[in-house]
Amino acid sequence: MINITKMNDVNITVNADLIETIEEIPDTVITLTNGKKILVKESRQEVINLVKCYKKELFSRFLKED
Amino acid sequence: MTILNIASIIGLISGIVLMIFGIVFDMGTMSVSFGKIMNFIDIPSILITFGGSFTTLMTMEPSLKTYVEKLASFKLVLQTPAYNDVETIKNIIALSNVARKEGLLALEETANSIEDEFLKKGILLIVDGTDPELVRSILETELSCIEGRHSDTIGFWDKLSAMGPAWGMIGTLIGLVNMLKDLNDPSTIGPNMAVALVTTFYGSVLANWICIPVVNKLKARNAAEIMMKEVIVEGLLSIQAGENPRVIEEKLKSFLNPTNRAEFDVNEGGEVDG
Repeated sequence: MINITKMNDVNITVNADLIETIEEIPDTVITLTNGKKILVKESRQEVINLVKCYKKELFSRFLKED
Repeated sequence: MTILNIASIIGLISGIVLMIFGIVFDMGTMSVSFGKIMNFIDIPSILITFGGSFTTLMTMEPSLKTYVEKLASFKLVLQTPAYNDVETIKNIIALSNVARKEGLLALEETANSIEDEFLKKGILLIVDGTDPELVRSILETELSCIEGRHSDTIGFWDKLSAMGPAWGMIGTLIGLVNMLKDLNDPSTIGPNMAVALVTTFYGSVLANWICIPVVNKLKARNAAEIMMKEVIVEGLLSIQAGENPRVIEEKLKSFLNPTNRAEFDVNEGGEVDG
């Protein structure tokens, strides 16, 4: 799950696993796999970074267990 | 700024002029005798037909205020609406170019210079970051309310077109009853019968000369306005989805008839990027 800001400054948490595409036109539009589109204030790169951080956090637990 | 609707004005005036000419013109002697008009003027008949029609409409209406408003809607027929399909689509494409270059928030400034309230409302909703489904439902609700109001007005003239002939018939019945009550002199049958039939004539003229044309004019105008607002809704949602202006143009052009489409292609306004 990643925390992002919608156009009207509302913070929402999006399921990162449902992201299909992220476009900058020039506003960032996140299209989910269910066809829903979310307009967000973060740039495309920022969203990508958030997803990466989230996944890292998620999977780092498995490394510790080894 | 209202432009007179030439078609309506020519239609209404020439309709009544030709009818009167038909009454006064005599083919046999190729002469015009205005005295014949007096055959068609009868005060009691006018009271029964027009009085009856308009007062029953008053009974049907929710309030006197709406009755007066709907009667006043007649002037819409004499006007030409200021909007234009091609202009609207060009506006939307210009907006999509702005959104594409500077982002959706830049539309706010552009929105202030737009006159069309419906388009303005839609843009402000988008700028506020409203969800697309919500934008669509808000605009479509407004659309259906507009359509409802229009069909109320159309219904008013439709009812009047039914009431005219009905009260004309009532007037004719009154005339016949009075005529048959004192039928001592058979020579009066003709003149009395003529007076009795004049009410039916008034009713038919009211329906066919005024009401039915008004109903159809308002229907056509309603259809054009609703179509244009649907174009606006589609365009706004496409802008919000970040579609390419060129794609939006192609999408909206399908609403236009071939003539307007050709007019549109002559002076292309869309830019391609992305």
